[in-house]
Amino acid sequence: MALHLNLLHEQILETRQRQRDPLKIGTMILAGIGAMLFLYYGWNAYRTLSIKARLSSVEHEWAKVEPKVTAAEKRSTELNNIIKTTTVLDDYIDQRFFWAPFLEKLSRCIAPNTQLTSVEGSVLEEKGISVSIEGVAAAREPRSAAEDLRQMLSEQLTQGGYSDVKVEFKALDDLDTIASVGGASVPMAHYILAVSFQPAGKPKPVAPAGRGPRK
Amino acid sequence: MIGKLNKDQIKKVGLTAVGFVILLYVYFSFFLGPLNRSRNTMLTAIADKRAKINSSQENLAKTAKLEQQAKSATTRFAALKALNPEGAPIAWFPPRMKAFFGNQQIDKVTARLENNTAFKQPEMANWLKYTWLVDVPQVDYAQLGKAIAELENAEPLLTVSKLSIRASADQPEYQQVALSAVTVIPKQ
Repeated sequence: MALHLNLLHEQILETRQRQRDPLKIGTMILAGIGAMLFLYYGWNAYRTLSIKARLSSVEHEWAKVEPKVTAAEKRSTELNNIIKTTTVLDDYIDQRFFWAPFLEKLSRCIAPNTQLTSVEGSVLEEKGISVSIEGVAAAREPRSAAEDLRQMLSEQLTQGGYSDVKVEFKALDDLDTIASVGGASVPMAHYILAVSFQPAGKPKPVAPAGRGPRK
Repeated sequence: MIGKLNKDQIKKVGLTAVGFVILLYVYFSFFLGPLNRSRNTMLTAIADKRAKINSSQENLAKTAKLEQQAKSATTRFAALKALNPEGAPIAWFPPRMKAFFGNQQIDKVTARLENNTAFKQPEMANWLKYTWLVDVPQVDYAQLGKAIAELENAEPLLTVSKLSIRASADQPEYQQVALSAVTVIPKQ
């Protein structure tokens, strides 16, 4: 068996140790990983840049549309307000109470032997219409003449399309005064009628026709 | 293999490991993290803008449709608004009433402002209710009825809230009348 002598074993060992240097190997691995991470970062940066370009184009598009949208929204709000306001105003107009038809009906109820001295009417919100009628009646039976007026007024108002009609005497007193009706002297009575009703229908204003209340 | 490493080599391996950790930390904290955050922010902004653009198209279409639908309302609104002249109502309403009743052959009519109130409805924020006291010192009943009918027809935004008719003591054929009229007028 031949004898082999390795005279360079120290040099070989040194070379091997240099090649197995952990710092050198680690640095190489780190450099490799760093290169991979750099490439990954570059890929991500490229994607981000393309997204940025997309964002820029979308923003440009929005900048073109935005003034139109703002104007449209403003106009839309304005139109909605106009519609709502017009609806409220129309309701207000439709719910008005017209006094002229009432005055016309009242004038129809006044017989020659009755007089009105005052009419006080008011529109009460949600309670309807309230009217106080004061006057005098002259007849053989002055209270009957006043009652005729009350009944006729109640009938006229009910037929006139009003609802919840109430015509009641608030006062009915005999007077000492004597009136001359058609040449005959007749006693007189003073009355106050309280009238209340709901303007259920929507009567149109009509000018009163015929005679007015007698004085 | 670690068993074969000497002390110096173990130190070097440790150093390399620390360098690796630092590299990863710096990479994710200062490079990739901010980049991803910025990308996500931009993606959210794009989605947001796209949604706005899409909804804006719908809004524009809706507004155009609303404009068509509201044509009659806008015309009516303009007509109602035009019923009242520009300027303070106290300046033009009393003369208007005087002229109106004058045209009905009823003279000496005076109108004065009692108060003004706001509407309860929020959509009427730009309108006010003015209450006026209109005095008619002398009028015939039939003439008064015709005048009130004409007034109620001519002034849709006017409503007579109170009416007082009293027999005139001096001239029994005439009445003294006081009206409380409420008008709806845009705020000046």
